[in-house]
Amino acid sequence: MSMAKFLVRRLLQGIVVIWGVVTIMFGLRAVAPGDPANLMLAEGATQELVEQVRREEGLDEPVYVQYLDYVRELVTGDFGYSWQSNREVEAMVIERIPATIELTIAATIVALVIAIPLGVISATRRNEPADYGATMFSLLGISTPNFWLGLMLILVFGVWFGIPYPTFGLSWVSLASISVPFPSVGFYDFPTGRRPVGFGEAVRTLVRYGSVYDLLVWLKHIALPALTLGTYFTALITRLTRSGMVDELGKPYVTASQAKGLPSVLVRYKHVLRNTMIPVITVLGLQMGTLMGGAVITETVFNWPGLGLRLIDALGTRDWPLMQGIVVFIAIAFVTINIAVDAVYNYLDPRVSEQ
Amino acid sequence: MISDRIRSNLWQTFRKSLLPKLGLVLLASIVFMAVFAPVLATHNPTRTGYYDEQGAEYPPLGYEYTTSVADDGDIADVTVEPTTEHVLGTNNVGQDVYSRFLYGARVSLLVGLLGTALAVVIGVPIGLVAGYYGGRVDDGLMRIADTMLAFPALVLALALIGVFGESPIYVPDPIVAVGLVDGMPDRIPIPGTVTIVAGLVTWVWFARVARGEALSIRSEEYVKAARSFGTSDRAILLKHVLPNSLTPIIVLATIQVAVIILLEASLAYLGFSGTTLSWGYEIERGQDVLRTRPWVAMVPGIGIVLAVISVNLLGDWLRDALDPNIEGEGR
Repeated sequence: MSMAKFLVRRLLQGIVVIWGVVTIMFGLRAVAPGDPANLMLAEGATQELVEQVRREEGLDEPVYVQYLDYVRELVTGDFGYSWQSNREVEAMVIERIPATIELTIAATIVALVIAIPLGVISATRRNEPADYGATMFSLLGISTPNFWLGLMLILVFGVWFGIPYPTFGLSWVSLASISVPFPSVGFYDFPTGRRPVGFGEAVRTLVRYGSVYDLLVWLKHIALPALTLGTYFTALITRLTRSGMVDELGKPYVTASQAKGLPSVLVRYKHVLRNTMIPVITVLGLQMGTLMGGAVITETVFNWPGLGLRLIDALGTRDWPLMQGIVVFIAIAFVTINIAVDAVYNYLDPRVSEQ
Repeated sequence: MISDRIRSNLWQTFRKSLLPKLGLVLLASIVFMAVFAPVLATHNPTRTGYYDEQGAEYPPLGYEYTTSVADDGDIADVTVEPTTEHVLGTNNVGQDVYSRFLYGARVSLLVGLLGTALAVVIGVPIGLVAGYYGGRVDDGLMRIADTMLAFPALVLALALIGVFGESPIYVPDPIVAVGLVDGMPDRIPIPGTVTIVAGLVTWVWFARVARGEALSIRSEEYVKAARSFGTSDRAILLKHVLPNSLTPIIVLATIQVAVIILLEASLAYLGFSGTTLSWGYEIERGQDVLRTRPWVAMVPGIGIVLAVISVNLLGDWLRDALDPNIEGEGR
C-alpha cells in the first residue's frame, strides 16, 4: 500500500472516531439530569421564558432530531453558543488553543531533551550508578501525580528559595486579595503588573523592537508548568529509550559494524538510536490523550489560561455546548496527531504500511 | 494455569533484584495501614477543630511555625509548637493529618482495585471476542476502542461525573462494626461514580491486549484441533483462549491499579470525587495554605507517590518475569 493510500485510510478512520466522540458527548448530554433551559437562564425566570428558550434551542424536539441538528451544525463548523457567557463556543475554544499548545510543546521538548540522553546513558552504562539513578528517577516520575508535583515545585522555588520574581500562581480569582501567596501565572506578571504575552507575541516583540523582555517573561512563566507536565513523559521516554537501546545493542548488526571498525559513537547515535525511536514515537502518539489530560490538571494548578482550564470552568457551570466544543476539539487534535505519528512511523520503518 | 516455569521465573527475578522486594514491603505496609486504619489512627479523621489554645493548627513533629491569630479583635503573631498528640500536625480545618493519611490509603486502594476489576470485566471479554472472531466484529469493536482512546481519560471521567453526579457509597467499617475501636467513623465513603468511571475509561487497554492475544491464539494448532472436534466457540474461548492470554492481562492489571490510583487522586484534587477522605482532596485543601502550612499538601502527596511506586514496582517485576508484549501503559 502506498503512503497516500495509507494516510487516506487513516483519515477516514479518524473521521469515524471523531463522529463517535460527538455521539458519545451528545448522548451524555441527553441523559444528563437537569433542564438545559434552566441552566441557561437566571434563577427565577418565568415559565414563559423557559418555554421560549426551549423552543428556540430546539429542546422540545425529539432527541433524534436534536442529534441530527447537532451533527449538521458541527459539520458546518457551528459549535453553538456558551450557555453561561452567550459567546460563540468556537471563539472561546480558539482563543485558548495557543496557551495549551505552547504548554504541551514545551513539556514535550523538556521530556525529549532530558529523556533521550538519560535513556542512552542508562542503556550504555548498564548496572552502573548512572543507570540506577536514571531508573529511580523514571520510577519516581511515572509515580508522582502531576498536580502535586506542581504544588511542590511552587513550594520549593517560590517559598523556600524565594525566587525574587514570583513566577507562578494558584488562582486568578484570589488575585484580588493581597494575602494570596502567589500571583497568578497565566494572567499577570506580578512585579510589572503586565499581562504576559504568548510565545508568538513575544517573538514579534523581539523582531520588531529587538527586546527579549517579553520572551524572558514568557519563559519564566512557562518553566514550572512545562516541567510539571513534562515529568511523566520524561520518565516514560527514559524507560522506553533504555529498554529499546538495550534490545538494539544486542543485535548482530551492532556487533558487525563494530567489527568493521565503525566508531561506536556513530553506531550508537546513527543506527541504534534511530531504530530505538520507532517504539518511542508510537507510544508518544498513544499517550497524547494522557498529555492532554495532564494539561487539564497542570493548567488548573498553575492557572494557565489554556483549554483545560476552560474545560474545568465549563464542567463547573455545566455549560454543555462549551464542554462539547472543547472535547470535540481535543478529539480532532488527538486524531490528527496520531495520523502524523503514523506518517513519521511510516517514514522511519516503511514496512509498517505494507502490513 | 500457573506453570512451574512461570513460578520459577517469578522467583528468579524476585531474588535477583532489590526493587520487587521494596515494592512488596511498601505495598504490604500500605495495605496494612488501610485495613487497620481505625486501629492505627489516633484521632477521628473527620472530626474538625483540633487547634491549640490560640486557635492555630498544630505543625508536624520537628516543625515550628509562626502564624497570625485573631485574638479579641486584634491580630497577634504566635509561635506554634508541635505536639506528640498530632504527630503529623493538623490541617486547615483542624483535622488530624496522620489519621486522614491512613484513611486516605483505603480510598486509593479500594478505587484502584475495584476500578481495575471493572475494567477487566468489561475489556477482556470484548477483546477476546473481537480477536477470536475477527472480521466485522473486530473492526466494529476496535473502532469503539479507538473512540475511547481519543478521549483523554481524565476528560471523559470528568464528563461522566458531570452527568451522573459523585454519588459516594457509604460502607460500614468492618473493624468498627465488630467493636474493636471506639470513636472512629462507623461508615467509610467510597467514591462510587469515580470507581465506575475509572473502569469505563480504562477497559480499552484490556480490550486491546486481550484482542492481540486472542488473535494469535486462535491460529494455534490446539485451537484448530479443538474446533475440528466440534468444540463450541464459547468453550474454546473460555478453556483455551482466556487461560492462555491471562499473563499479559495480569501484568496490565497491575499497572492499571497504579494508573487508577492517580486518576482518583486527580479527580479528588479537582473536587469531583464525592468524598473528602481522600489524598487528592487533602492536597487540594493544602494548596490554600501551601506557604504557611506546607505539610497539609505534602503528607498526602507522599502517600500517593508511595502507593503508586509500590504497585509500579510489582508491575515491573511481573513484566520482567513473564515478559508479555504490552504496548502503551495508559493513564
